[in-house]
Amino acid sequence: MNVALLAGAVLNGLVTGMIYALIGIGLSLILGLLNIPNFAHGVLYALGAYVLFSAAVGPVGFWGGLLLALVAVAALGGAIEYLAVRRLYRVHPDYILLLTFGLSLIMTEAIILVWGPVGITFQPPVLLAGGVDLGVTFYPKYRLAVMVVAAAVVLACWLFIEKTKYGAIIRAGIEDRDMVSVLGINVRRVFTVTFAAGAGLAGLGGAFMVPVRGLIPTMGIDILPFAFVVVVLGGLGSLPGAILGGLLVGVVQSLMTAIWAPGADFSVFALMALGLLARPQGLLGQR
Amino acid sequence: MAQVTRREFLKSTAAASVLAASVGPHVASAQGKEIVMLGIWPFTGPFADVGPLLDRGMRFAIEEWGSKVIGRPIKYISRDSETKAGAATRRVEEAIDSEGATFVIGPWSSGVALAVTEVAKRRKVFYYFSGGTEEIAGKRCHRYGFNWAASPYTAMHVVMDKFMEANPSAKKWYLFVSDYAFGWSVEKYLRLAGQKYNIDFVGADRAVLGTREWSGFVGKAAAAKPDVLCLLNAGQDVILSIREAHNFGLAPKVPVVIGWGVGTEDFVQLDAKTRENLWVGTNAYYTVNTPVAKKYAEDYQKKFGVPPGYAPSAAYGMTRLVLRGIEKAKSAEPADVAKALEGWETEDWPGRVWINPKTHQTVRDYFFIRCKKSDQMKHAHDYADIVASSSQPLMPDEFNECKDIGSL
Repeated sequence: MNVALLAGAVLNGLVTGMIYALIGIGLSLILGLLNIPNFAHGVLYALGAYVLFSAAVGPVGFWGGLLLALVAVAALGGAIEYLAVRRLYRVHPDYILLLTFGLSLIMTEAIILVWGPVGITFQPPVLLAGGVDLGVTFYPKYRLAVMVVAAAVVLACWLFIEKTKYGAIIRAGIEDRDMVSVLGINVRRVFTVTFAAGAGLAGLGGAFMVPVRGLIPTMGIDILPFAFVVVVLGGLGSLPGAILGGLLVGVVQSLMTAIWAPGADFSVFALMALGLLARPQGLLGQR
Repeated sequence: MAQVTRREFLKSTAAASVLAASVGPHVASAQGKEIVMLGIWPFTGPFADVGPLLDRGMRFAIEEWGSKVIGRPIKYISRDSETKAGAATRRVEEAIDSEGATFVIGPWSSGVALAVTEVAKRRKVFYYFSGGTEEIAGKRCHRYGFNWAASPYTAMHVVMDKFMEANPSAKKWYLFVSDYAFGWSVEKYLRLAGQKYNIDFVGADRAVLGTREWSGFVGKAAAAKPDVLCLLNAGQDVILSIREAHNFGLAPKVPVVIGWGVGTEDFVQLDAKTRENLWVGTNAYYTVNTPVAKKYAEDYQKKFGVPPGYAPSAAYGMTRLVLRGIEKAKSAEPADVAKALEGWETEDWPGRVWINPKTHQTVRDYFFIRCKKSDQMKHAHDYADIVASSSQPLMPDEFNECKDIGSL
């Protein structure tokens, strides 16, 4: 493999990995704190993409659309937790699993009803169109921008979780939510906020990918298995774990494409299996 | 409560048996009048987007016949293939057993079709498929199975010949290939067709159907500096690989050739920019200039507001030939219809068609089209021009593995 090909593969892996990390962080926090395997997470990613598309072709524009995708999908996530998921906390988690699975089907159909079943191609904003010569390889500007912005969002999430009081409450909730509750903290509100934030991050991840992969109503179903791999590999509820897991999945998938293309997706699941065998709690997980 | 004696039980059972026996034949003959046609289409799974279009095409043909043929009503039923061999064969068997289906058309994936054709052979039901695997009219041929799409041998030669006529210096080709029956067939014949032009296949990546991350593939292709990026993949894989080729600046500088494409269904998902310098080999395009195709395109657009793509056109074309075969045979027995189609030369959707009696391959034109730039488009659906169409070269006998098609 020549240097240009290797550099391209690593860069591709980092870009895709950052998006996986963004989605994985949300899924991991929801799974860690609320004990919910959120099967609607993929469709929230898709909704973010469609919100960006509608905003970008309208007066809001691309950059406003990114913000709108984050806020709108976060609001929807908060509403899902407040109006539906909350009612099932006292029953077996399987019911929540079924609820989120059902919601994902309903929302996918809603996307088809609103935006149609046909895929849509969307060009990056003019400022980020075309590519740039990095010396070792030629690379699309938009992808580089996604990598930088997604890394900044991931860093902001990490700072929020690790350095703020609210982040400490979320971390404590992941460790022992009953203890957090008896300390007088409104843990239900923490649940709603965490679900909303996780959903918002998924929506933002979807929005970032629109000029790269375009839109198709089933795009959420396609991304979900990789998001779960990121969470399992990184460790339940671990934000650094989700970041590491996302980057590992992205880079391994990309390098494998360059080495042996038919094994690209297979290698991701093999990586998860190996990770589980070596460290069942995930690379940076505690439980 | 009164007890039923053994004698009374036997009497009533015997009476019920006699009644059932007398009613049975009437029910059976009533069912026999109805011709049950099954469309086995992918409503879920990797090709879920085309399932409803295929269903629409088959319904369209049946409605044109007034849901009646040789004076008998047609009952159309559809089932979900899921693009899974297990699910598709199970549902075909169920439709044969519980609905009395005797004519089966579909699905969309070659891999699944290879399983369904075995059911048709074993259950002696008529089967029509349109796809890129050579095996339906090749190694897995049988008297009840037919293939509507052009043979991959012919198709890949048409693509290579016509593209090289227009671009004689484009000698370095890079391939993205779907890693299943369809991809293997078309890759084999594209490579064969390329020998005449000394094509250097500088790379070929096989990818699992449903691959969503194409940046690595495109990066690899770009590094090989090809003159042509040729896509021998299917479904969303085609769309995603084209988008990535543009993201990485490989296209439109390098032409993208879809060897076995669907045309319209892909074009609507791309924008004018990503359709630039895109060439497509296809079994159907809505501007095909034959009487049947022209009328179908007009009626279809009147009804649905959009032109028909390959999926509804193939379903329509296959259903038409089945219905015309029933009329020719004056019978709805699968064996009679199969015999009626064998060796038949007629005009239909693709123009002149001939059904090879030795293989059951429908010999018909394959189309090569080139997408227009946005300023060349006269209306929203004016995506492309048909550059060439041909049913030649025919697959030489030595390549066809259907050595004995067997008996009915």
